[in-house]
Order: sequence, then structure tokens, then C-alpha cells
Amino acid sequence: MSAEDNAFRELIDEYVVECLPLAERAADALVDLERRRRAGTGGDELLGPVKGWLHTVKGNSAMMGLTPIQESAHALEDLCAALAEHGGGDGAGMLALLVEGGGLLVDQVRGASRAGAVEGVAGWLTRAAAARGAATGNGKSADRRRAERRGGAEADGAPNVVRVDFRRLDTLLEVLGEGLIEQAAVAEAFRRVARRAGSTPGVPELDHAILALAKTMKRLEAVVMETRLLPISSVFGRFPRLLRGVAEGVGKRVRLETNGGETALDKAVLDRLGEPLLHLLTNAVVHGIETPVERRAAGKPEEGILRLGAVSRSGRVAIELSDDGRGLDERRILARAEELGLGSGGEDSEPHALIFQPGFTTAEQVSELAGRGVGLDVVAAAVRALGGTIAVRSRRGEGTAFLLDIPLTLAIVRSLIVEVDQERYAVPIAQVAATVRAEPQALHEINHRGVALWRGGLIQVTDGGALLGTGGQSERGRRFYVVISSGGRRRGILVDRLIGHQDVVVKGLDPALGRPDVVSGTTILGDGRVACILDPVRILEQRVPA
Amino acid sequence: MSDALLRFADELGAAGPAEVAAPVAELHLVTFTLDREAYGVPVQRVREVIRVGEITRVPQAPEHVRGVTNLRGRILPVVELRSRLGLTPAVLTPRSRIVVTEAHGRILGLLVDAVLQVTRIPADTVQPAPEDIRTPEADWLAGVARRPDRLLILLDLDAVLLLQR
Amino acid sequence: MAHAFLFVDDSALHHQMYRLIFSRGALAGNTLYHATNGREGYALLTQHPELALVFLDLNMPEMNGLEVLARRAAERLHPQVPIVLVTTESTEEDEARARSAGAWDYLRKPFQPADVERLVARALAEAAGSAA
Repeated sequence: MSAEDNAFRELIDEYVVECLPLAERAADALVDLERRRRAGTGGDELLGPVKGWLHTVKGNSAMMGLTPIQESAHALEDLCAALAEHGGGDGAGMLALLVEGGGLLVDQVRGASRAGAVEGVAGWLTRAAAARGAATGNGKSADRRRAERRGGAEADGAPNVVRVDFRRLDTLLEVLGEGLIEQAAVAEAFRRVARRAGSTPGVPELDHAILALAKTMKRLEAVVMETRLLPISSVFGRFPRLLRGVAEGVGKRVRLETNGGETALDKAVLDRLGEPLLHLLTNAVVHGIETPVERRAAGKPEEGILRLGAVSRSGRVAIELSDDGRGLDERRILARAEELGLGSGGEDSEPHALIFQPGFTTAEQVSELAGRGVGLDVVAAAVRALGGTIAVRSRRGEGTAFLLDIPLTLAIVRSLIVEVDQERYAVPIAQVAATVRAEPQALHEINHRGVALWRGGLIQVTDGGALLGTGGQSERGRRFYVVISSGGRRRGILVDRLIGHQDVVVKGLDPALGRPDVVSGTTILGDGRVACILDPVRILEQRVPA
Repeated sequence: MSDALLRFADELGAAGPAEVAAPVAELHLVTFTLDREAYGVPVQRVREVIRVGEITRVPQAPEHVRGVTNLRGRILPVVELRSRLGLTPAVLTPRSRIVVTEAHGRILGLLVDAVLQVTRIPADTVQPAPEDIRTPEADWLAGVARRPDRLLILLDLDAVLLLQR
Repeated sequence: MAHAFLFVDDSALHHQMYRLIFSRGALAGNTLYHATNGREGYALLTQHPELALVFLDLNMPEMNGLEVLARRAAERLHPQVPIVLVTTESTEEDEARARSAGAWDYLRKPFQPADVERLVARALAEAAGSAA
């Protein structure tokens, strides 16, 4: 919340009345401190009161939404702490920085009721952070440790960091997206012109220029996507505390080990990943891990272990969440599935995957914690909404592991553009295993369903027109099929043409379009036409129509 | 602006033209044709009128959604107004247009055969449609206005654009 | 019905903020007591067993929030009055320490009016519940 829409903004004058004297006292004391330190006549007793005044200014500024002042006060507190840890000596020019910072703080507080920043503050903050880092090396003050435990959101200590409202990054991405669309349009228009203009002077140069533009846009895209990346530890960070509460509530002892926290994901994905992960972890504590008594009887240490790890692999992140608890009871799952009328899950799925169906819980005790009305089907839906997949592995008595596969970003998807019945569709490359020429002799029909021999095995093949509702098979027969693959399943989709590869900007599905099963979003192609983006994960989950 | 005027402006936005008991005695409409009949919708709900470009089909979209089109980089769903009103789907001609409207907090396009004009009509020329014309499915019918040269069918936009029932 | 609230904080600005929060909406019309240090706060607590909720700042000179709580616990003074410890610190240890010292809940700075409203609503609900 900014200062303008802060709830207490009308108290700005009272703020200045309280904080200006404090800031001035602190600034004066810091000048005093510097003089006495240089003269060798002590002065350290001043640090205590100074920190107190700075702390009050910081707290008040935070309440008023005056973030720049809060940051300055915080940085000054940090420098004071570093100075105190250092004992004698100048401590990396810190005294000078403190004096400078004190003066700036006074200016900031004095001008708090006016808009606009005080000149020099940004530069000072950078230098202060650098001095702090240099002076203490690996040592951390209590404040820093606290800030890091709070979730690492305050990266003040790191040099060369700026704070940017994430909405600006969204805008940046939107504009980049438009740029990508326009660049594709230019390339397309040029292709058409070039077909007729051939080797007219200027055409080869234009070709080069367009190619160079495409390369630059790709680089720009990579840079923009990078600015949106945050380490997954920002999500992992709050789990230990939350899980401790859950564990205590159900009388269990649990330890959470994480690794791969530095794995980076787009913030938009991270924002929606926390909840599903937390549900899985909570379920593991409540249902997966046994009570200390049961564990002792099973020869396991009383403290259960939850492991949460992330690793990135070419555009996607694999997250594994495992416990060493009791594992899934296959018999109970199958029994419950029968109760719910779910059958046994289909040709190529295991019984364990049934737990992702709605209405599933075999837990006797529906505790208040895990039974917040959220089942694993909600988790699976959330993961799918991110364009990801979830699978489960389990061994009775040994534990359960959930495997999530999430794309790095939601916003731009490298896609294969295909054409079916004169409509174009984008298929995310991440789920395209291959594109194959459809030789009539390689296509067969078994039990009214199309199949093809591919890489030594049989896969089901569906007509693209039938899947997308644009009509039956064209008389000539489709010329290609695209093998889509996800979570161990594969299927071929028959299409008329393969148009090419493109980075498409994903635009969500307007609610007016309902909830299609086969399409996850829309995008605008280079020629200005709208194309639907296929959802291979959902397509693979469906039974093949006869 | 006075409170009364603000409240009236809100009412105009929320209700169909025939329901408003207003100090102002006129309705401001955008009129268009489907088949041989003329229809009208409140001008305040119309963002713009555009020519028909490419309309991309969306698989499994609700009935009456013909598809989506590119509106200056934004994806605009296009409603097949004819089928929503019980007529056969449109055959596109050079006079076809998309009337871009606001409904339920979003923008939606209405595919029409041709756009006539933006016009004002006196409120007292509006009357409810006759009993036997009004069937339960025709929830989109807000009323009928007698004009010197034709009959104008007034549409309840919110009902028309409520596509999931 | 009007309730009584006590605010103990050495910052005049915070008292203004509390007054502002309690001047609007559901919180308006209640009786407010203000103390600017721990000693004064303890005295006011002694005089008002009817307090619905106390907002006690942690960092105050002379007698800080934890010391107030400690003395209250030692003298078993008005255990029915819920006390919220208000502070910028926020680790689990800090929270745990506050609760074991006798704080009914914990309010982190910076806070918004909504945070205060929520605490008040819960305190009143619990009081009503235990009276039933």
C-alpha cells in the first residue's frame, strides 16, 4: 500500500511532528559519534539511543506507508549494528555513510507530506548496502537474520537491488507481448511481399533486418522473463513454521527438508504454487506421517521426514514432495473408487492416480486442518491450471511422493502452429514429442479407434477435426500427425498442415467461452488472426472417442 | 452533478430502456438489423462498432458464441446474435458488423447483419410486446417502439449476453 | 454497547492512529484509555477490569511490554482482560515468548485498521462465548 492510499495518511502532520525531532536527534548524534570516534574519545554509548530513535522512525514510517523513509531508517539501523559489531576503527567508511544517511533521513521526514523523492537517497542506499555487505562478510546481524526468516522479501542487504512494483513487470511483459505479435506480423507481411518481389533490390537487406529484429526480440524476451523470476525458496520459506503448527495440532513430529530453493520461477507461477504445495504438505503431515508411537512400532525414527525439492529442466521445473510415512493403501483406494463409481481409472493409469478424483479421502479422521474442504482434486486442478502435471508414487509402509512438473512461465509459450480445417491452433512445444507425416499404411484402426506405429510402439491417433469439432475427416485425409506427450501418455493428433514454430503470448480464456476441455487459452498470430492454444495435458486425460 | 442525476445514470446502465421511469423522456439507442427486423440497444452499453475480420472458432464454446476475434490486440468473444434470438446463423456480407458491448463487467461482440444508426426516440413510443409474442425463452425482449417508418425491437442486453443458464 | 479499550505506547502518533481507527465504523463510540509508558499502562489496567482489549507496545523505555505482561502474570491481575502485544519483531521465538508471557495475541507493525478490527471482533466474540 502506498502512502497515498494508506489508512493513516491524514495523520501526516502528526507523523512529522513525532518523527522529525527523532530523525534530527539521530542525525546529530551520528555526527557526534563520527567526531568522537575519529578523535578516539569513545562515543559508542550513543549507538543505543540512536538505534531506538531510528527504530521508532522506521516503525512509524511503515505504518504510514512511507516506504522510502522506512528503508532509509532500516539501512541506518543495519549500519549501526554493523558498526557495533566491529568495535573500534572506521569500519569501511561507515561513519561517513551514517552521517550522510542521517542527514538524508531528516530531509525525507521533513518532506514526508510532499510527493517526490529526496535526491541522493537511492545512491546512498546502494552504497550503504555495499558497505554493510563488505564489512560483515558472512556475518549477519540479528536484523538481517530476522528479515531473512521473514521470507527473504527484503533483499536490502544485497547490492545493486532495486524494488519494482510487480505490476510494472506485468506491463512490461504485456508490451513485450505486443512487440512479439507485431514482429511476427512484420515477418509475415515480408514473406508475402518477398514471394512476389523475389530479388528486387532491398529485399535481401530487409530479410536480414527482419532476422536481426527477431533475434533481438528473442533476447529481449529472455531478459524480461528473467526479471520476473524469483527463487522457489520464497515459497518454501514459510512452510516450516506452518507445518510445525499442523504437526503439533495432530500430535506428530515432522521435519521438513528442502533443496533446490534457488530454482527460479516466474512470480506469477510462484504466486499460485504455494497453496497446492501447502495442501500436499499438510496432507502428508496429517494423513501420511504416522504418530510417534506407530513409527516406533514400525522401526522408523519418531520424527517423520518431509522432503521438498525443485530442479529446473529446459523450460520446466520438476518439484518432488515426499514423505517417509505409511504410503497409500491401494486396496482402500480401489474400494473407495468403487464406492464413488469411478471404475479402476482407465487403461494406462495406476490406482494411485485415483486419489486426484473429486470426493476422495480414505482418512478416518477428517481433521480440521486437512479437511478444509480441499481435496487432492483441487490440488490437481490448480497444478493443471498452471499448465503443469502431477503424479504420485507410493509404497505401502515406506512413504508417498508427489511429482509436479510446472512450466517456468505462464505468459509466453513456445508453440507449434498447426492447421486443421482452415483453423490454426498453437500446440505448446513442451508437450510435443514429434511431428510425423501421416502415411496411410502406417495408420490402422482397432476397436473403432485410430492407432499408429510410432517409435516401435502403438499410440492412439485422433483426428484433429473430430477433437476440435470442426467436422469429420477431410477426403484427402490429414497429412501429418503431432504426437503430444505428457505424464507418460502419448497420442497422435491428425492435422492438415504444419505452419511453423512461434512464441505465442498467452491470453486467457474469456469466461464467455465457457470451459473448453481441449483449449487452454488464446493468442494472436502474426497475421492478426486469433488462434486457440491446445491443452495437451487435458487432451491426454480424456478417453479417446470412438 | 446532483444525486438524483447520478442515480438515474446508474439505473440507465443497469436496467433496460423500457423499465426506467426517468425525468428524461428519451431513449438513446444504437439500431441494427437481423433478417428483416430492426433492433435497438442502449447507446451507453455500446463501446464501438467494427467491421467483421476473421472470427476464430473456439472448440466447445457455449451455444451462440460464434468465436473470437482480434480487437486491437485484445481477444473479443463474438456472440451469434441471430441464433441467440432464434434465427439461423449469419451469413457474412460486407454490411455485417460487430457491435462491441459491455456486459457483466466484460466486453462482448454482437454479430449483426447491418448497423442502421444511433438515434433518440421518445420514451412514450415504447410499449411491452403483445402477450402472445412474449414467450419464456424470449427473455431478451425488453419492449417494442413504434417509429414512423418501422417497428423497433428493444433488446435487454444483460439477458441477451447471459450465455450460461 | 460501548466497550473499553486501553492503548499503551510511547508514540503519540500511534495513539492518534488508534484514535483514528476507533473513530470509524463498527469501532466508533467506545471508551478509549491511553498510556504513554508501561507504568502508566499498568496503573490504568489495574483501574479498569472491564477492559475488552488492551494494545500493548513492546518497545517502550523504562517498563516495556514484556515487563508489563510479566508483572500482570505475577500479580494475577485481571486475567480475563485480553492483551495484544504490538511490535515490529516477528520471529516464531518472539511470538512464542509473547504468548508464554501471557499475551492473548500478537500484532505486527505495520498494521492496518482491518487487523485491529479483526482482533477486537475476536476478543468480543470470545468474551461473549465464555459468558454464555
